[in-house]
Amino acid sequence: MSRIFTGQIFTGMKARIFGAFLVAGALHLIGTLLIPGYSAPFAIRALLVIAALLAVASVGQTLVVILGGIDLSIPFVIGFANVVAAQLYGQGWHFGLVCLVVFGLAIMIGALNGALSKGLNIHPLIVTLGIGMIVQGLVLIWTKGFPAGSAPKAVSAFVSIGGSFGPLPVPALIPALLVLILLVVLVMERTPWGRQLYALGSNPGAAPWALINPLWIWTSTFAASAFFAALAGILLLGFTGSAYGDVGQPYLFQTIAAVVVGGAALIGGRGSYIGTIAGVLVLTEINTLLIGLNFSPASVQAAFGAIILLLVSLYGRERHFRTTV
Amino acid sequence: MAELSAKGLVLRPGVGAISARVAPGEILGLAGLDGHGQDQFLRSLAGLEKIPGTVALNGTRIANFREAGRARIVYVPRDRRSTGIFPGLSILDNFAIATAGRDRRGPLISPAARRARYETWRERLQIKAPSPEAPITALSGGNQQKVLLARALAREPEVLLLNDPTRGVDVATRHLLYDLFRDLAQGGMALVILSSEIEEILALSHRVLVFRDHEIAAELAGEAMQTAAVIAAMFGRAG
Amino acid sequence: MRLMGRYTFAIAILIVLLVANLVMNPARFHPAAWGTLLGMAAPLIGAALASTPVILAGRGGIDISVGPVMALVSAVVIKVLYLDHGLASPLILWPAALLIGGLIGAFNGFMAVVVRVQPIVATLGTYLILGGLTLTILPAPVGPAPDWLKAMAGGWSFLPLGVIALIWWALSRTPFNDQLMAVGSDDRAAYTAGVPVSLIRFLAYVITGLLAAAAGMMLTALIGSADPKVGANYTLIAIAAVALGGVSLAGGKGGLLGAAIGAFDIFLLQSLLTTFNLSTYVLQVAYGAILVSAVVLIALQDRGAKRSHA
Repeated sequence: MSRIFTGQIFTGMKARIFGAFLVAGALHLIGTLLIPGYSAPFAIRALLVIAALLAVASVGQTLVVILGGIDLSIPFVIGFANVVAAQLYGQGWHFGLVCLVVFGLAIMIGALNGALSKGLNIHPLIVTLGIGMIVQGLVLIWTKGFPAGSAPKAVSAFVSIGGSFGPLPVPALIPALLVLILLVVLVMERTPWGRQLYALGSNPGAAPWALINPLWIWTSTFAASAFFAALAGILLLGFTGSAYGDVGQPYLFQTIAAVVVGGAALIGGRGSYIGTIAGVLVLTEINTLLIGLNFSPASVQAAFGAIILLLVSLYGRERHFRTTV
Repeated sequence: MAELSAKGLVLRPGVGAISARVAPGEILGLAGLDGHGQDQFLRSLAGLEKIPGTVALNGTRIANFREAGRARIVYVPRDRRSTGIFPGLSILDNFAIATAGRDRRGPLISPAARRARYETWRERLQIKAPSPEAPITALSGGNQQKVLLARALAREPEVLLLNDPTRGVDVATRHLLYDLFRDLAQGGMALVILSSEIEEILALSHRVLVFRDHEIAAELAGEAMQTAAVIAAMFGRAG
Repeated sequence: MRLMGRYTFAIAILIVLLVANLVMNPARFHPAAWGTLLGMAAPLIGAALASTPVILAGRGGIDISVGPVMALVSAVVIKVLYLDHGLASPLILWPAALLIGGLIGAFNGFMAVVVRVQPIVATLGTYLILGGLTLTILPAPVGPAPDWLKAMAGGWSFLPLGVIALIWWALSRTPFNDQLMAVGSDDRAAYTAGVPVSLIRFLAYVITGLLAAAAGMMLTALIGSADPKVGANYTLIAIAAVALGGVSLAGGKGGLLGAAIGAFDIFLLQSLLTTFNLSTYVLQVAYGAILVSAVVLIALQDRGAKRSHA
């Protein structure tokens, strides 16, 4: 009896992730059937690169959502890293130093988000929104709204759709992402920090008795989120070639959507980065498919919204609060 | 082997100060009507209450919960669902979460080491679970409580503070837990057990503190440990 | 009294900003210009009011489609009904606007309460759909709005806000308000006490939709035309105003008055910084800084209150 019960919960989570991968595959099949060249090597490479950038930006949102929070500062930190890296590199700084400064500042921004949210028990939505607005405003003041500079050639090559990695016909970003996925999964599944992250999200009230320090977990998790947002910002700089402060804006809702489509619950304690990767593929396929079908940007947006609702209604439903009485 | 002592604890402004000690190998019972201070007293032993007075282990002062933890004074809270289990996590995770660092080989947790550590406790506490990977919510209340006790005991406590440990636990499991507590005491651990059931306190403890109005109304030991005496002290009648 | 405490910072900021504005810009804040002034503040106040009921209802309740609802209402009322079909009467346009808002609110409520999709995701879906729909109906700004509507940004600006205040006051005399707060602070306890939790939550979404539609009308009145791009920007700033006004995003704490004060604070800040001729960049930093410091102060105050009770 209890075995049946446990089986259901575990297959439930795995089924969501598997389902999301299936949906991504089905969407790709539809695209291939409807649109000539949808599965051409170049198109697939483009799709992978765009998905990989979203995947990097979504690491943090995944961690934060498992914790039971949300991070609205991701697009602002992406924009911040994008502009500051370009500006400093343009001023002749060594790129290693540029990265050090950008990542250092991003980690501090993220740590502040987490520490304020948990330390003072303020909803992270408000804290991350407020801090994000401050960060973006400061960057705008510094650059007077006209950021200059560019990325080093190496970064551009790293993410270039036409790039290759040894014998592989994809840019180094793709194998690097696979390594990143492995690392993130190992950290979440096999380190004390990762287990504490899930535990804290699953029941904050029980955490202190289990020697979990909620403030530290929140601070470090939001710092990690900002770090990955900054990484995405620098990669985007290489991808687009020039700095743009609003480059992160699409990632605000896309990271949340990817995490949720991937099976995580916004109430915390549930989710995985593999699930998020599935969500990222689904979103990227939808976007590519709709644009390929020559929908106007307005209809792409509307259809995007409708499909997210459809997917989440199918398998992203919460338990009824009555079952938690 | 450590002796926990409390000196001059004032549970509420204006009431008398409390001093008490519990020796290695001793089981100290706490009784009283709900809300008469025994809960606060137990929590203050764990460094959780900011009230006048001091708590010390072998003469070393324990100022807060963190120091208590470091001195291996382990507190097991009362409400299993809100302050005990992590419902989204497996039995293994729930067991190992407070001592996760011990299974580390290099930077990563070794599943084999964790499993082995769990197995020894599973046998000792006779935890009945479909599989260690099953979610904790698949277990009965009694078995959940056993997992939580295993989590606490894995920290190798010097002093174990139990807040109503048999609440919502079936009779068979209760007796198993009583035997376990006696066993632990015999091994030299000091135990403080708060219970809402007088019979349980009397059966387990070497000594009982009865609380009334945030003071100790009676301290009973040996022959004096009778139900009538506890009830009399609880209700403030001269015993 | 504790409720008053939640408003303290919003009111303190209000007074400081009001005085600063009066000194810096006496003409704009002259009593004769109050109608226009309120008209300028009205869309943000409306958006903040709209965001409040779902947040009060708790369990992650939030509606990020408030801004897009405002844009859609504006587009349908001006482009479709007024310009394309010549319907100009307030007796047609207001009910049409409210119907749109109510239906969208009901849809959001259905998704969040019945289908049980997490509210932020459910309304994100609506946000995207409505954004796309609005751009399809109205690819570029058109105008003008009917004269009576434009007057609502001037001398008659108190009317829509006054009506909302009156209706909310009436609602607060019914059990609905208490039930909403009970559901927001502890839905399980409310459910055991016999409160129809799901119905109350659903109604909160409908009310949010209706108020968002009203905010859309006020926005249309202010800009005197329909603009597909303006509405969506209100979503996050309205939620910021709500938090500034002491409404707890965890639900069950705060009220419409606080949200309105919070929104007026942000408006006054905007107005002051424009007077100084500061760039919008500085404005954005100031928004963020005020928002963060206000929620920090409210949290510190809550913490102090808790300590003095213990």
